[in-house]
Amino acid sequence: MFKQYDVDGLYDEMFVAPGEPRSHYAAVSKGLNMLGVGAFQRRRQMADVSFRNQGITFTVYGDQRGVEKIFPFDLVPRIVPANEWETIERGLVQRITALNLFCQDIYHEQRILRERVIPADLIYGAKMFRREMFGVNVPRNIYIHICGTDLIRNREGQYFVLEDNGRTPSGVSYVLENRAVMKRVFPGLFTTYRVRAIEDYPFNLLQCLRHVSPQAMDDPSIVVLSPGIYNSAYFEHSFLARQMGVELVEGRDLVVENNFVYMRTTAGLRRVDVIYRRVDDDFLDPLCFRSESVLGVPGLMNAYRVGNVALVNAVGTGVSDDKAVYPYVPAMIKFYLGQDAILPNVKTYLCAEEDDRKFVLENLDKLVVKATNESGGYGMIMGHQATREEREKFAELIKADPRNYIGQPIIELSQHPSFVDDHFEGRRVDLRPYILYGEKVIVMPGGLTRVALRKGSLVVNSSQGGGSKDTWVLEDEDAEEETPHA
Amino acid sequence: MTLPIDSIQFLPRPLTDGSKFYVSRGPRPMLARDADSVYWMSRYVERSEHVARILLISGILLTDVGQLDEELVDEQWRSILTMLQVPGDVPGEGPLRERIALFMTFDEENPSSLVNCVSRARENARGVRETISQEMWECLNTLYWSLRGDDARSRFEESPDDFFRSVMTGSFLFQGLTDHTLAHDQRWMFTQLGKFLERTAVSARVIATKYDILSAAEPLETPIRNIHWMAVLRMCASIEAFRRQHIGDLDPILVAAFLTLEGNFPRSIRFSVSHAHEMLGRIRSETNPRSIEAGERILGQLKTQLDYAQAEDIVTAGIPAYLQKIQDAAAEAARAVQSAYFLH
Repeated sequence: MFKQYDVDGLYDEMFVAPGEPRSHYAAVSKGLNMLGVGAFQRRRQMADVSFRNQGITFTVYGDQRGVEKIFPFDLVPRIVPANEWETIERGLVQRITALNLFCQDIYHEQRILRERVIPADLIYGAKMFRREMFGVNVPRNIYIHICGTDLIRNREGQYFVLEDNGRTPSGVSYVLENRAVMKRVFPGLFTTYRVRAIEDYPFNLLQCLRHVSPQAMDDPSIVVLSPGIYNSAYFEHSFLARQMGVELVEGRDLVVENNFVYMRTTAGLRRVDVIYRRVDDDFLDPLCFRSESVLGVPGLMNAYRVGNVALVNAVGTGVSDDKAVYPYVPAMIKFYLGQDAILPNVKTYLCAEEDDRKFVLENLDKLVVKATNESGGYGMIMGHQATREEREKFAELIKADPRNYIGQPIIELSQHPSFVDDHFEGRRVDLRPYILYGEKVIVMPGGLTRVALRKGSLVVNSSQGGGSKDTWVLEDEDAEEETPHA
Repeated sequence: MTLPIDSIQFLPRPLTDGSKFYVSRGPRPMLARDADSVYWMSRYVERSEHVARILLISGILLTDVGQLDEELVDEQWRSILTMLQVPGDVPGEGPLRERIALFMTFDEENPSSLVNCVSRARENARGVRETISQEMWECLNTLYWSLRGDDARSRFEESPDDFFRSVMTGSFLFQGLTDHTLAHDQRWMFTQLGKFLERTAVSARVIATKYDILSAAEPLETPIRNIHWMAVLRMCASIEAFRRQHIGDLDPILVAAFLTLEGNFPRSIRFSVSHAHEMLGRIRSETNPRSIEAGERILGQLKTQLDYAQAEDIVTAGIPAYLQKIQDAAAEAARAVQSAYFLH
């Protein structure tokens, strides 16, 4: 199955060289070769049918027919050895801690601006900076309760943080479902692995939500707020509500009276304490943000500001995952924690700065340029793959609004074997682990490995046709007392 | 080549501290929107089963009666639209029979087509996905894909009968799962309410429509008439239960009285009304114990009337009028439920 497989001069997660798997992939490679093409294809069909019948789908916008799609699932697991994970975990804990201190600071004393570590105009110019949050005390001073941080590896296999998603990161339901399907489809293929469990994520998330309840009680009323069944991530909203055993509500189910939030039930109104909202800031409260929003709850921000309800994540966290603020995260870590960043950033040029902008415009064909507030692979250009016209158009956009763009060198992401037709080919991957910040910080041992759809493509976003893999974080072998298999 | 089933080990996170977490949760609230959704989910599944059964039986009926006046054949097929309250005419060309079968199965514009009934049921289920059981959701989703999937058309063309039967089986499975995987709390009560109100309405229309056609047609020979009234019983899934009580030629009054007034048979109108009424009473006592809602009153009155009625009452009133009253009451009760529970 791997006969024609080529590592293409990239960092390959599975192979050091053609035919020579890395030690932690040896058993998988052997197992796949024993399985053969036909059997593998049958397993893949099993997985697809299982996903479809369970309705594990996402919605693609701007596609009239068949808007509901299965998130393509790639059956070969991505394996992360214990020692690599240990560094990642420490790096992520450090990062979410600093980002939370940063949000708290920005909406209160603003020490980091006064000490000129970060230029103030960069923050005030951020689209997601929320003046409405200034001076507001949020429960337990936690802003980013849930963070999905995108990691990539370069040609040498070095991990980098590509971006933090501190607003409403999605994808965790696929991580859990991928694992469940993997267990069903390949119960016996991969031997001798000790994979760390991720199934307690919903429980940890619930604990995290309980932790910020304004009312001190054992069973606060917690809800997941979704934009509704047509939202691309609706499956996930519903999945998490079900796993946690809490209500899934839409804006129209909630009502604010005297600065308290209630949900409409068959027996009248019932108070809500914590809202895990999967609705963007802009749509949360038509009285405060976009007035045409029908997804939100009028008066919600007032209830929030007086402390009668907790919102998770807090309003205004977008200031910390703005792509133009991203290059300052290592400085934040230094400033708040007095430490060096464990996970490095990708070199980033801010178009707002004159020298950087000049460099970006001169090197458009070698860089990737991104709009600072877009996500999901929208509003970006891969310089080396773009046409001359596209680059010229982008140059105009940058000149018109430099604050809105950053440039980064193109990183040749690591690749991983993917099954294509009847053989394996390399596809680029990234990794999004999920971090929960509650009473303690918990990094889920695993994450969403996203896979680019086409050969050579560096875009892994699901909205751009990418797929995903199960991600196995291995238990530390040294900590093991006995080997489970002879 | 088989490797041991349990060879991958997914390890639980080791407990870092000894603290345990346990909270017993009180009765859960029921979102008004969720109540609305489970009610309609259930109604649409029930409706799809009726549509499938009516189409199935209509096909078989026409084979059974053999040579028949063409006008009566066409009228029989058109009557399906009346039973299912589909206004207007059937699009397309070709024999009416095929057109109607297609129209009632796949037509996107026809709100009562199987595809639409099941899609709406699933749409509603999707909105409350986290509150129904995984089994129910998967069952409904599988049914949905059996109608929307790429092979739906070819399966239909190969054997319409099997196709309709598979939809009915989907509904049976779903209803069984509803009873056996969902707690019998308010949520379940709303599913039952929807199911029985739908069954009441469709059954009443099936009997009334058939009665209209048959009484307007030229007097039929007894064997043919028997076959027609057997079809009515079959459309209400009641032929066997009826045969246990009655043998011999089928008298319209006898059939109508059985389908309307039989007390212990879950397909009869009286049974359905009685259960809908009971559910509404239990829902009300959980949400607002001190007042009787309009819907409960309407169903209570209807239930009492059916409990004490006999075949003669139907004769006196006339079958169409009697059934019309039932339909009106069921519709009014449904509206009352809507305003009492869904529109908070």
